[in-house]
Amino acid sequence: MSSPAEEGAVLDRAFEKFRELMASDGYALSWTLTGGNRVVVEIVAGADACADCLVPLPVMEAIMSDALEPTPYTLDRVVLPGGT
Amino acid sequence: MTGPEKLLDPTGLDDRAADDTLAPRPPGLRGLTVGLLDNTKPNAVPLLREIHAELRGRAGAGTSILYTKDYFGMPAADDLLKRIAGECDVVVTAVGDCGSCSAATVADGILLERLGTPAVSVVSDSFLVSGGAMAKVQGFPGYAFAAARHPVASLDEKQIRERARAVMPEVLRILGVDS
Repeated sequence: MSSPAEEGAVLDRAFEKFRELMASDGYALSWTLTGGNRVVVEIVAGADACADCLVPLPVMEAIMSDALEPTPYTLDRVVLPGGT
Repeated sequence: MTGPEKLLDPTGLDDRAADDTLAPRPPGLRGLTVGLLDNTKPNAVPLLREIHAELRGRAGAGTSILYTKDYFGMPAADDLLKRIAGECDVVVTAVGDCGSCSAATVADGILLERLGTPAVSVVSDSFLVSGGAMAKVQGFPGYAFAAARHPVASLDEKQIRERARAVMPEVLRILGVDS
């Protein structure tokens, strides 16, 4: 069984390049682990975020699901700025 | 009184969404009309013009027609895509250099392919993930699009010409034409 630190490292690695992608448009990405190895991804707008540049939710979900594919975790949901 | 407003779908999905077949490729580009679909992002038009110049020089492509979509973050409107497909033999659409516009640029290419017109979507290499994810959402995983080195918006005329030249092998390959 993985420790919380190991879980964190796996998920941080999985999302690393997607954090950079989001940062290009001024957004930050954070995640929380829920029960059953499911992950909630939250996208938070920074001060200079480009509001029109955020990808639509279905595309964001596809991106995050792909990011988790090589890990034991699956996507629960994506929370976009504004709580979508 | 008007009816209820139709909500715009940022993915451009519709009944054609499961079709992952490319439009038939022409045997060559000689004399063909090239549609240039500008997504309104900075430097999209200069990049498209340079790509068209390269298509003329390398493959003998014919004239171009420039179209501009309403909003970079959404796929182009259905009637515009149909008009482009009716007036052009092949299409180049650019430039995806943010999350939403790269996804929408790839969606435009896929929707044009489904209308029977070969299309190349040009996306900056920082946003290939968004473009690829849109292709998957569109039911066309693995849809090939061209990657231009990021950034594009801040480039001058000479740099845009260089970006256009660099992307040409991919543009020609996607159109099924040997340079």
